[in-house]
Amino acid sequence: MNKLNLRLFRMIKNTKGQYIAVLSIIITGIFIFTAVSDSAINLRDTLNDYYTTTNFADIFVTAAALPEKLERELEGIENIRQADVRLSLDVRLITDNDEDRINVRAVSVDKKENKLNELFIKKGKRALSEREIIVIEQFAHARGIDTGDEINLNINGRKYKFIVSAIASSPEYVYLMENEQVLLPDYKKFGVVYIEEDYLRKISGRGYFNEAVIRVNNYDNVDKTKDYLEDELKKYGVMRVIDRDEQLSNNMMNEEITGLEGVSQSIPIVFLIFAGIMLATMLSRIVKKDRTSIGVLKAVGFTDNEIIAHYLKYAASVGIIGGVLGSIIGTAASGAMTDLFLQFFNIPMLTVQIYYDKIFVSVVLSLIFCVVSGFWGIKSIIKINPAESMKPEPPKQGKKILLENFKIFWNRLTFSWRMVYRNIFREKKKFIFIAAAVCITCSLMMMTMWMNAIIEVMFLEHYTDFMKMEYNVGFRGFHDERVLKEVKENINYNHMEGRIELPFEIKNGRHSKIVNVIGLEERTEFYDFRDLDGNKFTIPKEGILISSNLARALDADKGDRILLESFTPDSEGKYVTVKGVIEQSLGINGYMNINYVNEMFLDKSIINGVYINSDDDVKVKLDDINNIMSIQSQEDMKGTFEELTGLLTVYMGVMVIFSGMLGFVILYSMTLMSINERTLEFSSLRVMGFTKNEIFKMLIKENMVMSVLGIMAGIPLGKWLVDYMGIMFNTDIYTLQGHISTTEIINAIILTIIFIISAQLMTYAKIKKLDFMQALKSRIS
Amino acid sequence: MSEIILRVENLSKYYQMGEVTVKALEDVTFEVEKGEFIVILGPSGSGKSTLLNIMGGMDKPTGGSVIFNDEMITNFTDKELTMYRRHKIGFVFQFYNLMATLTAKENVELVAEITDSPADINEVMDAVGLLDRVDHFPSQMSGGEQQRVAIARAVAKNPQILLCDEPTGALDFETGIFILKVLKDVNVKYNNTVVVITHNSPIAQMADKVIKMRSGTITEIIENKNPIEPERIEW
Repeated sequence: MNKLNLRLFRMIKNTKGQYIAVLSIIITGIFIFTAVSDSAINLRDTLNDYYTTTNFADIFVTAAALPEKLERELEGIENIRQADVRLSLDVRLITDNDEDRINVRAVSVDKKENKLNELFIKKGKRALSEREIIVIEQFAHARGIDTGDEINLNINGRKYKFIVSAIASSPEYVYLMENEQVLLPDYKKFGVVYIEEDYLRKISGRGYFNEAVIRVNNYDNVDKTKDYLEDELKKYGVMRVIDRDEQLSNNMMNEEITGLEGVSQSIPIVFLIFAGIMLATMLSRIVKKDRTSIGVLKAVGFTDNEIIAHYLKYAASVGIIGGVLGSIIGTAASGAMTDLFLQFFNIPMLTVQIYYDKIFVSVVLSLIFCVVSGFWGIKSIIKINPAESMKPEPPKQGKKILLENFKIFWNRLTFSWRMVYRNIFREKKKFIFIAAAVCITCSLMMMTMWMNAIIEVMFLEHYTDFMKMEYNVGFRGFHDERVLKEVKENINYNHMEGRIELPFEIKNGRHSKIVNVIGLEERTEFYDFRDLDGNKFTIPKEGILISSNLARALDADKGDRILLESFTPDSEGKYVTVKGVIEQSLGINGYMNINYVNEMFLDKSIINGVYINSDDDVKVKLDDINNIMSIQSQEDMKGTFEELTGLLTVYMGVMVIFSGMLGFVILYSMTLMSINERTLEFSSLRVMGFTKNEIFKMLIKENMVMSVLGIMAGIPLGKWLVDYMGIMFNTDIYTLQGHISTTEIINAIILTIIFIISAQLMTYAKIKKLDFMQALKSRIS
Repeated sequence: MSEIILRVENLSKYYQMGEVTVKALEDVTFEVEKGEFIVILGPSGSGKSTLLNIMGGMDKPTGGSVIFNDEMITNFTDKELTMYRRHKIGFVFQFYNLMATLTAKENVELVAEITDSPADINEVMDAVGLLDRVDHFPSQMSGGEQQRVAIARAVAKNPQILLCDEPTGALDFETGIFILKVLKDVNVKYNNTVVVITHNSPIAQMADKVIKMRSGTITEIIENKNPIEPERIEW
């Protein structure tokens, strides 16, 4: 081996603590980058492959009555390649338990194979005959349904018995949710079944279809095709025309993948920047320490470039090893991560690839980061004059530090504290870096604590503070006040209000959004509307209250006139005034006076649901009422949420370890660096009679001051991060709002301190081992 | 007539220290013949280290010239100076300045690797009497041994001139004598030109030529017709 490389190898060996520290940050950064971005690509590829395999539709139409001939009429015109009409009904699964109210979407399918949205058979056979049924996999698993089993459905008030012929997945229900208002999937409570088309039409008594799925030739022109369909299908009572991007399951998947891509691009950069600064600091210290050696190398004839290359190899080795290890571990983990995601999303195929280009990019990225920061650290090599470097470096000019001007403070300090402050002020860059690392660690910890708490807060706020009903009962179709009377007769209730919930396409200029608008009684007791400042709102007689995420989506504010287009056939769009923007943690909605909704859009006094507060077991007592489609209790939602918390704990653990590691590694390596550089100073102190513990305490005091400053800076940064996350993670499904609590801040600080103390304890071993006397004798560079 | 390997002509070096101009060297002129053992003698601050640094291409003069084998090195670019140091010059420093993480032999090999025609490493190690210590790290060796490694490192390049800056300055008398003997042996064996700078006047007795300096100028150049063996020197 070339002797300069041998020296490099031994230099790495001698600084292995710091080397491993910076390497671990690089590995972590590259690992997160590769694992998360590969998972995002895997998920997208898997999803795309699945869509291609199953010929997933581009447009989804809901209408009152569509004729079968529509397929032929549409195909070949206006960018439409294929069209398939179908019948979709929301029915009930009959179980032994009366309390269960299991909604099932029965969708008609062709006997053998569908043109569009083909089913992916996981078990059993695709071909269907009468009384045979295909059950969607998530629902089948959750309810223990298998092929050959018998299931009973309540369709139009009559019980129908079916034999399960197959368990299948559908590209339409990768993320199985009943509708946008259901915030979390509950596979036990909602499922999809597929019944042979003619048979479903027969038993449902419907001559017409109510849905069409369409594939287009060119998705770029999908908006034009949608407009065409909206006009053309008016005569069939078209209610809703949405494209693939708006389709609920696909939309949720895309949100998830976009979120992953965001994480893959932001978190690793933080790690790489810190690794870069750390590497630059480390190398600049090494070069400073090697000043004479560098002078000798120059004196014996090594060129500047050769010497720079020698030290850059140190940085490059970190970059290459970190890049290779990080991307290999990341690639290996991405398969498992994608698999983990697929447990939440039902995609029957898994396209996991090794992205060699990604590994290459990771290694190059890591190499560039390290070499650039390395060069930043060692650029002073060029200035080293061989003749000058042989002479001992003149001591730094002693001068008063800023703090010394504050006499009252300074005079009260003990000698050792004065030394601590002088050291900090003389090594500003290094100590600022330590403070920055602690600051980032603390803020990331705060963000993690907040994320963990906010999800719970979000649910509690939504289901306790914002919505106050114990039961939300949905009716099948619209009803007048008589249905309310029927419900009231069946249960003892504390309070009850009828409601109407209708989907609208709301438009404001070029912005539009399809959301459910809820019509409520003027003095509703079931909702507590407040704006971000906590100001209370009541339902206005006229106009609409909109949730803040809807306001953002529409770019609308109080006083604006927005257009509400109903999906009811033949209804005209109407303008209403925004009377207020309210905060809502979960979901995206508009709220109007129930009378105003009826007056504006329905012309009669009707409801399609009821909110109830009751001590009765509402589910059991209302079971016999035919018109009831769904009964959702707060308890159900809380139960579903608890299932989520397991995953959240894992996420929180990983985030705590990653953020803690950043602070730990930087503090550990910087302290090691201090010990190595100040051996002579410490030796002198030892000669003067200082004990090892006293010297260690001095180091701890320096880090403590910077840690305190770091934590103090970390708190506002953490708060800013929390606010930023609130803006970033603002989706149709949830709005992460609310400030971080003092308890969460304290928890974050405690965790940060634990990592800081651990790093300090690790360095104590190094102090113990140092031979101070040898350092005094040594004159070897 | 002996071959002139290096000529120093009217060399001067000034440093600006605030408003004061410090004349480290002033109008220094002398010649070095091939194979000569030269001692530049002077007290601390007389400019001898500055002179050595300029001769070795580590520093540039304010005026005058240094001509090495008909090439004016004082006009060299930084890159040319590096090549000059790499192939023509061997340095021995007062504090040895070995690479702490390389063994004795590796320290020598380090420079041999960058030279066109290096000497045989084992032979050089033998010449400095360190064949049995080749695998020791500097921290495992005495000052004298480290200095011998430094001489081996300088000699291994097969340099035309060996420039030694106070090579015995950090050593005790006996070790110092031993180092001087090694330098003399190298001078004889490899026919290297050796220039030693020192403030220790007895060392001048072993030189072929003694250049005395004071306050940046040469006060006297003495041709020593009867240089004595290093073993006979005492201080």
